[in-house]
Amino acid sequence: MNAAPRYMEAPRRSWLDRVSDPSEKVLAWMLLTPAIVFMTAIVAYPVATLIWNSFHDVRLLAGQSGRFVGLENFALLMQDAQFWRAVRNTMIIVLVTVPGSLIAGLALAMLANMPFKSRGPIRLALLLPWAMPLAFVGLIFAWFFHSEYGIVNDLLVRMGFEPRIWFNSPTLTMMAICIATIWKTSSFMALILLAGLQTIPASLYEAAEVDGASKWTQFTQITLPLLVPSMLVALIFRTLTAIQSFDIPYSMPGPGEETQTLAMYIHMNAVDYLDLGYSSALAVCMFILSIATTWIYLRYVRGDK
Amino acid sequence: MRMPAFGLAVLLLALATARPVSAQQVELRAFMGGQHRPDVVRSLLKDYMAANPGVKVTVEVGGATSELHQRYLSTVLTARDESIDAFLIDIIRPAQFAAAGWAEPLDAYLGDERDAIRARYLEGYRTANTVNGKTIALPGFADAMFLYYRKDLLEKYGEPVPTTWPELARIARKILDAERDPNLQGLSFQGKAVEGAVCTFLLPYWSLGGEIVRDGKMSFDRTKAEASLNMWRAMVDQGIAKRNIAEVGTDDTRKEFQAGRVLFAINWGYAWNHFQTGADTRVAGKVGVVRLPAMPGGKSVTCSGGWSWAVSAFSRNKAEAAKLVRYLTSPAVAEQLAIRASQHPAMAEVYADPDVLKAVPWFADALPVIETAYARPVTPMYRPISDALRINFNTVMAGVRTPREALDEIEHRIKRALR
Repeated sequence: MNAAPRYMEAPRRSWLDRVSDPSEKVLAWMLLTPAIVFMTAIVAYPVATLIWNSFHDVRLLAGQSGRFVGLENFALLMQDAQFWRAVRNTMIIVLVTVPGSLIAGLALAMLANMPFKSRGPIRLALLLPWAMPLAFVGLIFAWFFHSEYGIVNDLLVRMGFEPRIWFNSPTLTMMAICIATIWKTSSFMALILLAGLQTIPASLYEAAEVDGASKWTQFTQITLPLLVPSMLVALIFRTLTAIQSFDIPYSMPGPGEETQTLAMYIHMNAVDYLDLGYSSALAVCMFILSIATTWIYLRYVRGDK
Repeated sequence: MRMPAFGLAVLLLALATARPVSAQQVELRAFMGGQHRPDVVRSLLKDYMAANPGVKVTVEVGGATSELHQRYLSTVLTARDESIDAFLIDIIRPAQFAAAGWAEPLDAYLGDERDAIRARYLEGYRTANTVNGKTIALPGFADAMFLYYRKDLLEKYGEPVPTTWPELARIARKILDAERDPNLQGLSFQGKAVEGAVCTFLLPYWSLGGEIVRDGKMSFDRTKAEASLNMWRAMVDQGIAKRNIAEVGTDDTRKEFQAGRVLFAINWGYAWNHFQTGADTRVAGKVGVVRLPAMPGGKSVTCSGGWSWAVSAFSRNKAEAAKLVRYLTSPAVAEQLAIRASQHPAMAEVYADPDVLKAVPWFADALPVIETAYARPVTPMYRPISDALRINFNTVMAGVRTPREALDEIEHRIKRALR
């Protein structure tokens, strides 16, 4: 924008005038300052502390509170089998639950977008899993999959299958965790995709109908391409939360620490062992992973345009 | 203008000096776990508040297991939260609390009575709560693991109380085969990765003479550890313990025994009161309790437990909190806890109390067991060591790892913790 027109400039301005009628530049700073202060306090400062800690030995239980150790924490991490197992588990959750909730969410969104009478209650029901706290979902599904008291084994037995001790097996536990996560997160995907679906003009489908396109062709040629921007937004959010998976895997523990995720491993080192240096190094890794993922998605968005 | 200002100043001064008078009520908050019978403690605190009208104590309950309990306190105390004044901590934790600076040393608050008060407690509990010469906490109650058994079933089949683990397995097998009750378990123990599982693992290991840490250095006997893991694993494989034992925590064992579904159970002292007087108990009058069995060629050992009261280093009312802790760790309270919650006193004198012996007759024989109980490793790095043991014990019980694989990881993790 241009500077204010000349006739608005008073020859001499008191500080009161300047505050009540600031120039654009001053106004910009005035408006930005609260946000800058706020972001510095809640984002920049903690992130800087985290990075500082990751280069120091901050083991509160060993009485170490800040000896500089350079990259030692990162070197330990590279040789730490538990860290790699946590990364592997986290990646499994990302690779299974992100596409899983996208597909389930898309199906739910299409359903909710259909013209039928009781749409209101259905859309409300769609929101329910999204509104539920993650830890509750984890605890509820942990009971579902409990080997003696769980509903899943009850159904298996009724259908003539062998009951399984789900939480005795890392594979079965990961399955249970993924099912719970997909159930929980699909409604968020559905919500964003539903908003996307509603922006697609009905005239496009009518025209396709006239040209004799099948429902499937309409879906692949009209719905999907026009939904890509909403999908990308939903996927970025979903992938980031999947990388940070904590609540559900934490409330549904498998044998030992076989199904520990990266966030759980960070929590264990920070809260249980009070090893703030090492847990900060782990958190820095997670941070890098999140940034890299976002960057890849954003590149894809720009490349597409 | 001068006079009103002067008047205002006087008024303010009056208000300022009046405040302490109205705020003389001291509010204390004590934190304890749900398994430690807060109902009983609350009723004891009523007496305390009646005797100390200036003090109001509220009890905050949290932590279904020792780990969750600790996790909550870690979070609150790392944040230097002032809202909790006194807390109950597991007997394995004073070293950690001292290292982290979370517990206010009590010596100054005990004054001249310090030595007399400390002398009251059993030696194991006195030393467990003393770190580098400082009294970090005072014992609230002592504990040990015992073998609970169904007296009625053993009598029915004319079997003795087992003194070794293989004998227990044989008797359990015989009774399970004869009873043909699919809901009856031969033995229930803690296979879930909870603190109790550390003890479960250590019982046979100690029975054979093994140690974990000696003078801050690792001393781990693979052969004895493997014998322990194999023994427990065999209990599961032979169908004496249930297949999902890896899901069973301390209070699950208690509940299942109480529901009449368990023949032998390993549990702490608190279970007795639930078995005998719990509202839904099916085993009242049918319960026996004895020392734990030994490994063949080993001795009968048990794991010492118990919880201690400490004063928060961040409390704003440390003197009052210390006074409260002194009350909660006094012989009078220990007697009530024994009678109403079957919690073992940490003082020898209370075991001879006739009212206590009337409520919990088996306490007469419990004192020597408590006194000879083995303590889990004492080190500020206890938590990672505990994790190494219980996590790996749990994976073996779940059948995910072989005992040998588990032992490799135990050794690796203990070494790393003590680096």
